[in-house]
Amino acid sequence: MQNDKTLKHAISSWLLLIALTIISIFLTNFIENRSVYIISALLIVIVKGQQIVDVFMELNKAPRFWRLLLLSYIVLIPLIIAIIYLV
Amino acid sequence: MSSSAIAIDLPTERIVNNKLTDKKLPGDLAMWFFILAELTVFAIFFIGFAVSEQLNIEIFAQGKAQLHQTSGLINTIALITSSFFVALALSAMHKSQAKKAVFLILVAKVFALIYISVKIWEYFSLFEQGITIETNTFFTLYFLITAFHLMHVLLGMVILSFIAHSAWHNKYQSKDLSGFEAGASYWHMVDLLWIVLFPLIYVI
Repeated sequence: MQNDKTLKHAISSWLLLIALTIISIFLTNFIENRSVYIISALLIVIVKGQQIVDVFMELNKAPRFWRLLLLSYIVLIPLIIAIIYLV
Repeated sequence: MSSSAIAIDLPTERIVNNKLTDKKLPGDLAMWFFILAELTVFAIFFIGFAVSEQLNIEIFAQGKAQLHQTSGLINTIALITSSFFVALALSAMHKSQAKKAVFLILVAKVFALIYISVKIWEYFSLFEQGITIETNTFFTLYFLITAFHLMHVLLGMVILSFIAHSAWHNKYQSKDLSGFEAGASYWHMVDLLWIVLFPLIYVI
């Protein structure tokens, strides 16, 4: 039962990752303001990263320290990049 | 087991396992330290790239315009899908379906080969235009970062082959898949790095 749930979760995650990847390519068609565009693109990176960390790496089942460590990487790096681009 | 033995084991064990909630770090600690080291190196590359871009805005804009965004998109989808099949393989191992897991690893490697093929095509496409690692700052960083990532993909494929071989020969027990999990985690790290790399170098 747990494995079926994990399987469904992995499939949903894959679909979300593909959808976000395609959306990120066409972002320039929808967002003219460069700052908003950069923030949107990097937010997508964070969401995609969270899916890989929590679902594919299964760190949502790991001790909180490790999960937060990897999640902080996927938040911090885009944040630093955003600051470099926007400030 | 005596309480003093538990007290001695607990600090190290807590790093890997949280007995209160039965949460376990997948894989093994050595692999996670290796993953953290790799993530750190790439973080330096990513930040360095972003800083260089701000110092050479026009060169970077021209450079990005010369890249094949479609090939970057194909590579992103290929790596995400490859990662997905590795996750499915681990799920199969949890159900003691080792042969199925090996098949899923093979499918994952097919998608990895798509990534490698497209990446090589991309490099030769740029070479044909006379663009090399020495062309300008943008392409120096482009070739360095993407080639370094490609090396990790190649190493990841070796690791996937190793865990597939071990699974085929029933070397993993369903209650202790740490070796398989470690290999899978490394592959997901490779995917995670590309998730940041692709928009940074190709899109933004």
